[in-house]
Amino acid sequence: MKGDVGTKKWGIGRIGMYLFLTVITLFSLFPFYWMFVMSTRHSSAYNSIPPAMVPGDQLKENFQKVLDMIPFFQSMFNTLIVCLTVTIVVLLISSLAGFAFSKLKFPGKNILFFAILFTIIIPPQLGLIPQYLLVAKAGLLDNLFAAMVLFFLNPLGIFLMRQYVSESVPDELIEAARLDGCSIFRIYRSIVLPIILPAFATLGIIVFTSVWGEFLWQFTVLRDPESYTIQVALASLNTQFKVDFGMLLSGVFWATIPLLIVFLLFNKLFISSIAEGSVK
Amino acid sequence: MKFKKLLIASLSILVLLFVAACSDSSSGDSGKTADGKEKITLNFWMFGATGYEELAKEYEKQNENIEIKIKTSETADHHNNLFTALSAGSGAPDIAALELDQLDRFRDAQDRFVNLYDMGADDIKGEYLDWKWEIAETNNGEFLMGLPTDIGPKGLYYRLDVFEEAGLPTDPEEVSALIATPEDFKEAAIKIKDKTGKPMVASMEMMYRAQLDALEESYFDAEGNLLLEESGNGVKEAYDLAIDMNELGLVGNYAMWSAEWANGVDDGDFAVELGAAWFKGWMESNAPEATGEFNIATLPTEYSGNWGGSYISIPKETEHAEEAYEFVKWLVSPENQLNSFKSNGLFPSAPAVYEMPEFTEASDEYFGGQSTQTVFAQSAQKIGKVYKGKDYTSVHDEILAALVNSQAGADPEKEWTEAIKRINTKLDR
Amino acid sequence: MVSLDDKQQKGRRKGFSSQDIKEMLSGYLYISPFFIIFAIIGLYPAIFSLILAFQKWNGMGEMEFVGLDNFQVILSDPLFWKSVYNTVILGLMGTAPQLIIGLILAFLLNLSYLRFKAFFRVTIFMPYITSMVAVALVFSVFFSNNETALVNYIIGLFGFDPVSWKTSEWGAKIAISTMVFWRWLGYNTIIYLAGMQSIPNDLYEAAKIDGASIFQQLRYITIPLLKPFILLTVFFSTVGAMQLFTEPTVFLGNTAFSRDEAMTVVMYLYRDAFKLSSFGTASAAAIVLLLFIVVASAFNMVLTKRLGRDRRET
Repeated sequence: MKGDVGTKKWGIGRIGMYLFLTVITLFSLFPFYWMFVMSTRHSSAYNSIPPAMVPGDQLKENFQKVLDMIPFFQSMFNTLIVCLTVTIVVLLISSLAGFAFSKLKFPGKNILFFAILFTIIIPPQLGLIPQYLLVAKAGLLDNLFAAMVLFFLNPLGIFLMRQYVSESVPDELIEAARLDGCSIFRIYRSIVLPIILPAFATLGIIVFTSVWGEFLWQFTVLRDPESYTIQVALASLNTQFKVDFGMLLSGVFWATIPLLIVFLLFNKLFISSIAEGSVK
Repeated sequence: MKFKKLLIASLSILVLLFVAACSDSSSGDSGKTADGKEKITLNFWMFGATGYEELAKEYEKQNENIEIKIKTSETADHHNNLFTALSAGSGAPDIAALELDQLDRFRDAQDRFVNLYDMGADDIKGEYLDWKWEIAETNNGEFLMGLPTDIGPKGLYYRLDVFEEAGLPTDPEEVSALIATPEDFKEAAIKIKDKTGKPMVASMEMMYRAQLDALEESYFDAEGNLLLEESGNGVKEAYDLAIDMNELGLVGNYAMWSAEWANGVDDGDFAVELGAAWFKGWMESNAPEATGEFNIATLPTEYSGNWGGSYISIPKETEHAEEAYEFVKWLVSPENQLNSFKSNGLFPSAPAVYEMPEFTEASDEYFGGQSTQTVFAQSAQKIGKVYKGKDYTSVHDEILAALVNSQAGADPEKEWTEAIKRINTKLDR
Repeated sequence: MVSLDDKQQKGRRKGFSSQDIKEMLSGYLYISPFFIIFAIIGLYPAIFSLILAFQKWNGMGEMEFVGLDNFQVILSDPLFWKSVYNTVILGLMGTAPQLIIGLILAFLLNLSYLRFKAFFRVTIFMPYITSMVAVALVFSVFFSNNETALVNYIIGLFGFDPVSWKTSEWGAKIAISTMVFWRWLGYNTIIYLAGMQSIPNDLYEAAKIDGASIFQQLRYITIPLLKPFILLTVFFSTVGAMQLFTEPTVFLGNTAFSRDEAMTVVMYLYRDAFKLSSFGTASAAAIVLLLFIVVASAFNMVLTKRLGRDRRET
């Protein structure tokens, strides 16, 4: 079995390992749990010291308030469209480019590869105004496409794909296909794609989650409440002085659940691909 | 093959998504109403909890051809977004709220706003408090950037049980009479500390603002010169006052708007707050347990200032300046200021409201039934002209940092000089 | 041009064969979507910022050419250098542990006999999924200055004095590093996990037979073979660390741009642009930051490469 390292079944090593993992788990889940608790309690529980740890009874009420204040489901739908589109586009672009950089020969390949590094150099906070200007002049304000376009640019995706292709797709396989007379696209489609599916799962979930959590850019280009993505919609609940924390965190909590579901789905894909992918 | 199908499927989804996304853009104005008037959509950006959504719906009912789309955001985000849109010259709303402290940031860009005097604002000038109105004027009174909404006249929120324990009167009129000067304030503070061990004020910022908010020229004078290095300037006095009070143990260290502060309010850990009229909104939300524990008295004149408040402006990009103006005028009319007061506690800037029966008869359950608005109305009339300056917030932040550091043990004078140095560096930009 | 002998030696046809040309064209075609999109949405801001660094602009009015003035202002501002210092420290404290622990975690999650794999995988990724709004609130409350804040309470149990997490030099850095670590640990773990899938099992089997312990396997098999992925995460984490903005900003809230304990370089330039209306100096700072990023990344990559080399068995 993969990764089997054969220590004693219940020795110190194993116990220590599970202990370590449990600590990390608690550490990771704690804020999320608190968020859930808050979504079921009245706003004043936010200020309670020590922090509220026991769920209350305001689950429905808080969420109802959220629904009254913002177009929750519309925003979720918008967010879904944005995230899904960006993920698919990035996966396509990254795998194509990753494949090209890894297996194809063309002049200037290395220079171009390093050029990619420089595309993430300008901090988004500063690029905001010129990028906004471009989008505004193109008449794309309040259009979901504007919300997406920035995120099509994903150097990490290309790097990851290139690396994965290099390691997992043997040159011999490609040579053989080429001798058989396969077109390059056919090679990409039939040989490379199946093998890099686990990387798709990884990159996919990373991109999807990142875009889901994006706020600044969406907030800047989506102004019509009907076009909001979920983070922007939630932010309008946070009115600084008279915040209803129960409502706010309820909205945040329920907005995270679909993301969790998506992750679990990807996770399954990830696991099943592993079993297939390692057979060479 | 499986993956060919996957690829085709993804591409189809992609196409569908693109189509869905692109057709999601909101259509602008279209069509006409039954009586032939053109349908108009007004985009209104605002911040905070104002209750304007309900008022907007009312207006829409009264004016069938007008649709008002409201976008609410957090204060800083709101102003940054507006700034971005104005800077790019594209995408600005028809109507935008401007907070007092941020107004000056946009003063330089007055060419991107509609001059409300051109729209006839002169006619309603008399309906609003002078000092409030004048702040939104630029160019020696020839340009009006925004119509006034609410103000933040300050009052003395005092904790009944703490005052009682210290042997001080608890009736609002008596307290107002008792604390009529800064010296009275200090005396009361010392007494409270003696008898109850509790600090008078919750934070350095609160104590500092006591005097700061009342100054006519604080950080800058009307010409924009930095006043901090002049000897005897009001800011230094306010600063020293806060340091002084802190050294006497009369100032707490609860960070403003923090959970600890809210709890402190709930538990009565300090005696007073020098808060604006809108402050009670915060108290109600965050410190519900303190219901009935506070009353409000007037502040000494030296401490009577304004804290906060907003205006509503019309960016020049709009294609419907007249309709926008009509709506804004309606929104901040005395009748509607009364409505905003009733629904969200926005303190009116139109003195006519102070005489209205619904206003005078209102009483606050949170404050044990006291008619708190009368106290604030008194305070509002006493406020004089205030000049803030373009870089007010930057300077303000530096002084606050110095105050916090001093309270934590740093040398106040050193902090002051350091702050001034940093301020000068900032202003040189 | 290569000679016919070379061509024959290498066993491939170089130069102008139609197949090679097809390959070249495909190559350019396949990488073009990325560069096209960059040309549209990324190039303009980059050029704009570059030009802006030499101008004085308040966002609304006219731009005024000022040459190298902006750079001079930035480089002589002690706050700028403080922000550089802060950024580096935060990077070391928050980002470095992420990569190390992430690697260990990924290794553990990859072990065949580990139970509840899926569960752990999900929980580790949860922080990244949790909305920033909630994260900000939680950490803000847990790490507040007051004695009764959760973290202060806990360290009090160990006999430590309460720390002013939001306003002290090291308190702020520790709190924010913890937040960054918490948020990004899972992210890096997942990437390492993906990389680990391609390490063949036989190596581990062989090592096990030879009596290697877990640590030895980690050290001599996993890390060397995972090196390209490690380089990847090191590079992107370095860039991310140098561009740190969100976590300190949401943690400090109101005082984020007026206190210097935790101001990062991007916060510094953001403040210039959006609070001081000085876009020229902000752009200049961005360019200086760019140089730092290039240097820091190069340094980290070299370091990582060399670390691997010592351990590799050839």
